[in-house]
Amino acid sequence: MTVIRAALDEMFAVIGQMVGSVFRHGLPLTDKIAARTALTNFFLHIHPVRVRRSWIRMSYTLCLGGLSFFLFIVLTVTGLFLMFYYVPSTSHAYQDMRDLQFVVTFGGVIRNMHRWAAHAMVITVWLHMARVFLTGSYKKPREFNWGVGTLLLLITLLLSFTGYLLPWDQLSIWAVTVGTNMAKYAPIAGPYTRYLLIGGRVVGDNALLRFYVLHVVGLPLAAFLLMVVHFWRVRKDGFSGGL
Amino acid sequence: MEDSREMSRRSFLAITGWVGFSVASAIALYQSLKFIYPNATYEDPPAFKADAPTVYAVGSTTVLIDKRVVINHDPNGFYAISLICTHLGCTPRYFDDVTSDLVNAGTSISKDPDTGQQATKANAALPGFKCPCHGSRYFRDAINFFGPAPRPMDRVHLEVAPDGKLLIDRSVIVDRAFRLKV
Repeated sequence: MTVIRAALDEMFAVIGQMVGSVFRHGLPLTDKIAARTALTNFFLHIHPVRVRRSWIRMSYTLCLGGLSFFLFIVLTVTGLFLMFYYVPSTSHAYQDMRDLQFVVTFGGVIRNMHRWAAHAMVITVWLHMARVFLTGSYKKPREFNWGVGTLLLLITLLLSFTGYLLPWDQLSIWAVTVGTNMAKYAPIAGPYTRYLLIGGRVVGDNALLRFYVLHVVGLPLAAFLLMVVHFWRVRKDGFSGGL
Repeated sequence: MEDSREMSRRSFLAITGWVGFSVASAIALYQSLKFIYPNATYEDPPAFKADAPTVYAVGSTTVLIDKRVVINHDPNGFYAISLICTHLGCTPRYFDDVTSDLVNAGTSISKDPDTGQQATKANAALPGFKCPCHGSRYFRDAINFFGPAPRPMDRVHLEVAPDGKLLIDRSVIVDRAFRLKV
């Protein structure tokens, strides 16, 4: 009996140590413990240790930046799921998109979540910019973050545009034909830019692959890096909210 | 006493380093751009063969939609149109009547400078092309008359190949007066 008890005690001690290594500060029962938890946790450290209620008033921020980030996460997760079935080639893409809608279980849910979240993100990012402008939150010392924000808006629009080609239906193909022909109007560099963008003279296999690579890796990665800077600067420059 | 114009070892190395870094970066940028700029595209070749000229009746308009080319056979010869809208590159479609709705709505339509044809109340329907993207319209001879298209669609070269078929080269843009007489 004593041997078993000793073994159990040993086991509980190990488990206790493991749990203690994750939850280092116990339950956040006092402000001090809560502050220390937020300060030392990687995921929580995005939150300031102290926040005034007025800074995050719903009627002030409308939660638009947070909503945009939330939609970005939804898009990343649903996009990852879509990638299991989607092949970016002109002979497969349309069929794969149809399969996702009509053959794959919950495929329609995932595809529509991706589609609607994409539309919504364009809207929330625009509105976020409008809110920041109207409340004058772009002013010193936040000019730099306004600049980062405009890049994030641009990347959001580019993500939207590159994703638009991927279903490979008539709407996609001609929308991208039109969009890249606009680039062609630029002086001197125009035709080269279009050739570079679509990897040829017509919107075909090369264009689909290029847009896919940009859509699933290049642009999200750039967006992620800029978001990290964007949120960091929000923390460092402080919230702009009223008193 | 050290000459003040003399460069210190430290700043010499710093400058050398920065120059090296800049040159390497410029080369990397050049390589990156050249790498993603395709040398071969494997697209449909610009030159292709259509049917023998006798297949196309005088006065006919034949749309080869997969090739995005139109073959017009007029009394004074053949000519081919590159069916790419000059606005933003969509594919206009052929219709027997592209003018009467405008005439009936009271829009004045310019005269076709090449054929002299004009859509009027008395003779409202002229054949031609309409672009589905932004509504540009062209007469049958590819001259634009309505919508955002800035210029007529391109005419491309065609000739009779040794096997007697029409050989159309979409990469060779020809003058509007070009006609192939067979």
